[in-house]
Amino acid sequence: MPYEREDVLEITVVIEDVDAARLSEKATENATSNYSLNVSLAERDRNPDHLVLSYSLELTSQPAMAKFKVSGSATLKGTKDEIRGGISAPDDNRPPPVLLEIYERIYSTIYLLAGALKVPHPMPNLLKKSS
Amino acid sequence: MERVIQETGTNLYSGILRFYSLNDVRKYMKELLERYQRDYDRSSNVIGSLLRTEGGKGMEVIMSKGWAKVGAMFVDATDPEKGGMELTFQLVTEMKPRISKTEEVLKTFESVESLPIPNEATFVLYLHSGIPERLVIDTTETKPEAYAYKGDYITID
Repeated sequence: MPYEREDVLEITVVIEDVDAARLSEKATENATSNYSLNVSLAERDRNPDHLVLSYSLELTSQPAMAKFKVSGSATLKGTKDEIRGGISAPDDNRPPPVLLEIYERIYSTIYLLAGALKVPHPMPNLLKKSS
Repeated sequence: MERVIQETGTNLYSGILRFYSLNDVRKYMKELLERYQRDYDRSSNVIGSLLRTEGGKGMEVIMSKGWAKVGAMFVDATDPEKGGMELTFQLVTEMKPRISKTEEVLKTFESVESLPIPNEATFVLYLHSGIPERLVIDTTETKPEAYAYKGDYITID
């Protein structure tokens, strides 16, 4: 039977550094707070079958009660077209799929840290701020 | 039960691979050579160990007399131990020239690296039965620009 490659982009996310800070003594887990997220992705290494990105995500609660900074690497393995699809935002308002994957993978870590710091938990989904 | 046949070998193939830098080509060939070397050492250790154990008997301990031509291939149904050893011996014999050729390509790769190569070029390597044989310096398909992305989001439920 001929071998057929599965048409799937594989993304591996590694956390390399985490900073978490409680910024206010008044902060509680139940306080209402939105988090803003500043994202930066940059190419670290590339070959036709894989792309390694460095990522840095900084979450700050509004009002300022907590701050999280997570950085690391994300490796995308697949064909050139699959990789291109993984790093391209579908439109101006939505994040590129790789960013969704990174946020999904690190979310549990941030969630646990928020609980430990007794600060509001960030929400699980992302919406792009209008520029 | 102890296994009689030592299974070993590398999946060798003829194929075309694209790289975005000559350094990546060199790294790939170096890893290829290391893999060949590991397989060669493992297989030749098996043969060497048997020849030492059966000291004085020479090559007859790895040459089976059980081979018969069945259809278009040879089949050994009567002496699996020696038949298996003979296969391992054949593999080791075939790996030697493959290792030397890959070593030679790596040793002389500097001459490829010293060619005037445009910065945007990519490299297409042709492997023939596991040996890096030809390289195309391709200026028609170039390396994509380095990816960078910045964005501001809010988290929502």
